[in-house]
Amino acid sequence: MLQYVLAEHPFFAFTSLLYAASMAAYAAAWRSTKAFVGQVGTALMMAAVVLNAAVIAGRYLEAGRAPLKSLFESLVFFAFNMGLLYVVLERLYKTRVFGLPAAFLSFGAMAYALLKWDAEIVKLPPALQSAWFVPHVMVYFVGYAALAFATGVAVVQLLASRVPWVQRLTTLKLGSVLSGQPLDLDKIAYDVVRFGFILLTLGLLVGSVWAKSAWGDFWVWDPKENWSLVTWLVYGAYLHLRKVRGWRGDKAAWLAVAGFAVIMFTYLGMGLLPTSEESNHVYSG
Amino acid sequence: MSSVPTAATAADAASGTAADREARLTALLVVGAMVVGAVLQIVVPPGPLTLVAATGVASLAVLGLSFVVPGRLRTTLAGFRFTSTLLIALAVFAIIGTLVLQGKPHALYRERYGVFGPLIVALRFDDIFHGLPFAGLTALFGAAILSSASLRWPVSWRRAGFFVAHVGLLVSGAGAAASSVLSVRGRIDLFAGGDVATQVRVTKGAEEGQLVALPFELKLDQFDLVNYEPEFRVGYYEKVRVVRDGVPLEDYRLKTSFDPDTAKHRLPGGDSYRLKAVYPDFVTTTKVVEGPNGQPALQAALGGVTRWLADGEQLASADGQVAVVFGWERPLAPAGAATAVLVSGKERTVIVQRADGAVAQPLGGSAALLGGFVKVGPLVPSAVRTVDYATRSSEWKNPAAIVETHVGGQVKEQLVTVAQPRGVFLDGDRSALVFEKREKEVKAYLSHVTARKGDQVERAVVSVNDPFTFAGWTLYQVNYNPQDPTYSGLEAVRDPGVAWVFVGFALICLGVAYMFYVEPRLRGGGIERPGTRA
Ligand code: HEM
Repeated sequence: MLQYVLAEHPFFAFTSLLYAASMAAYAAAWRSTKAFVGQVGTALMMAAVVLNAAVIAGRYLEAGRAPLKSLFESLVFFAFNMGLLYVVLERLYKTRVFGLPAAFLSFGAMAYALLKWDAEIVKLPPALQSAWFVPHVMVYFVGYAALAFATGVAVVQLLASRVPWVQRLTTLKLGSVLSGQPLDLDKIAYDVVRFGFILLTLGLLVGSVWAKSAWGDFWVWDPKENWSLVTWLVYGAYLHLRKVRGWRGDKAAWLAVAGFAVIMFTYLGMGLLPTSEESNHVYSG
Repeated sequence: MSSVPTAATAADAASGTAADREARLTALLVVGAMVVGAVLQIVVPPGPLTLVAATGVASLAVLGLSFVVPGRLRTTLAGFRFTSTLLIALAVFAIIGTLVLQGKPHALYRERYGVFGPLIVALRFDDIFHGLPFAGLTALFGAAILSSASLRWPVSWRRAGFFVAHVGLLVSGAGAAASSVLSVRGRIDLFAGGDVATQVRVTKGAEEGQLVALPFELKLDQFDLVNYEPEFRVGYYEKVRVVRDGVPLEDYRLKTSFDPDTAKHRLPGGDSYRLKAVYPDFVTTTKVVEGPNGQPALQAALGGVTRWLADGEQLASADGQVAVVFGWERPLAPAGAATAVLVSGKERTVIVQRADGAVAQPLGGSAALLGGFVKVGPLVPSAVRTVDYATRSSEWKNPAAIVETHVGGQVKEQLVTVAQPRGVFLDGDRSALVFEKREKEVKAYLSHVTARKGDQVERAVVSVNDPFTFAGWTLYQVNYNPQDPTYSGLEAVRDPGVAWVFVGFALICLGVAYMFYVEPRLRGGGIERPGTRA
């Protein structure tokens, strides 16, 4: 299988490899005091993102449509969004602490795509030939990437209060904390959830406008719709709960993790539902 | 978190009990709303109007109560703990709606869910989003928003985001309510060039099942079913174990596929292959050459058709009147042929036999007979036949290819044709390559329609994802008939509430973005306020 992917889909293979390499470099940056190690991580991550974009563009040309149809295509797209968003947030928050979880998620998406290999190019059925299709999926995937990032932060936050060296990691100016200021993990997670939440809201809006133009109904209580509503409500609860005394720190972090579990289920778990047979949304394959 | 005892501890303890009271009231309200809904719906059968009315009345009643009842009702309703609980409760309902099949006949629930079946039906969880418990939660939702807004009144620039977003929620909700009460949905069946439709058969709405007059006339001028071009590909299939209807089976599943090019390709199983030759419009031609240990063969032409004949074979005209027969020993004339050209290989003679007699002549190299209609020769006493592959044209009419597989150092070739697809098996039978045609898939259903209302005439093409709105109705492409290319099924929808749903949602997006990115700047320095309780 690996030989096949290397020979027939070299860009896919090298993208995955680069994510894996940046993961290793970011992991090393957790322990190293040399700025250089972290810079290597960033450089590898950026290279991976560029190559990932090339994979997507290549497939766009081959398929003659946006490659967002099958699970395989969406995984490759998720990896890209995760990587790109991470690179931006690394700049914004001046830290490489989250490089490892971000690269892990991108690599994980590629590895899962490899495991569920399905590089077949499928024609777009009439139901998906809509101007709303691409914005709908894009908005959601950027949102998912943001919430994945926030979950990474929440996990680091949960570890930091339990594992002393993780605590040090987020406070010391090693290769990973660039500003010299201890990271306010709680605030970063909250910030990024807020950003992700706006995209979830926009995703619901675009999705319902599309549903209206395709089916004549803006909402049909389809399982995927319901679960994206659940996702939205759970993060809505997160945002409101944070304003209740005592709902910061660990509790909020757990809630962010739970929210992401719901996202993962919405993305990948629909096939497990008894009602999925009638859904218009479930990835087949 | 350090826990140094301070003077604040006592205050915390006091607020702890207040928080407890708030939590209890929250639980009471949320559970109460669901229970009241569940009980009420035994007597009041929910329909869209009942649901909307009940939700509205309950919402206002709770809100009104919160203003008059002393104690913490209003602040609880407006509080973040209550909001979060409510959002999670709504999420739980949405989840149940995906676990329990919705809108099925009641008998199915008994069959599928056993003892829980009757309970599901009694609670109306079979149509959970149209039951009163869900409506009860929605009512609290509205009351909570209004109550929290009342506590934050008046609107200021620093608070505008909250108002915009939460008014958006109410607007969306009101739009959805209007949509569920007022929307009408129905079917129109049209035939190209057929009758003009003036009515719609209502499938959802107050007049369900009835024919309702449309405010316009609708005619189908033409219906087009557009297909994607068919494609030819080399598919790679892998054997998988599947369970179908409880029976474990082995089946082949498409793992990947390749363009029919001549490059060498690596396969997922580790082997590789290439197409040694590709023939888009495949034909075979037989070539005969002199060789050792061969069979005698004679080239014969009749009326423009040329073939190599083996011992005992013949070539006849379409009407059977003229035939060329070749034999090593002198052959006999076939029955029914008025003119037979008999060639004997051993004697090297040609005999032209007719009813009125026979004429023989020696066969040299080749000979033209019957005024050139028949040609015989050359004769090859020891001929080896080879079949040659070729393509008639570059059009993909009858594709074939020679597949060369490389499996563990072994190279094999096989001719495959799309007309008779057969697998080239690799690695025993664990995987196979198949040169196959991907049949046409539907690309679009296009209904060319004309709508007329008085002098106003509009033409449009309705397709999936591209509806057409005329005189307050929107027409959607929903059906076709593969047996009748003139038929098109359209859905007509009138939905005055839907625009408000979208406006509301847009407001939510704007308000939330404003809350997150503008308000902190207005408050100065982007500093977060400490946890507050409304
Ligand atoms: C039960 C109904 C609801 C009530 C009573 C309510 C109430 C509130 C209140 C009082 C605030 C604080 C505004 C401020 O900072 O002054 C708030 C913030 C917010 N609400 Fe709601 N809300 C409700 C439903 C929702 C829903 C359904 C959503 C979307 C899922 C939502 C999204 C938000 C967001 C995103 C914020 C900003 C939170 C933050 O600053 O991080 N609300 N809400």
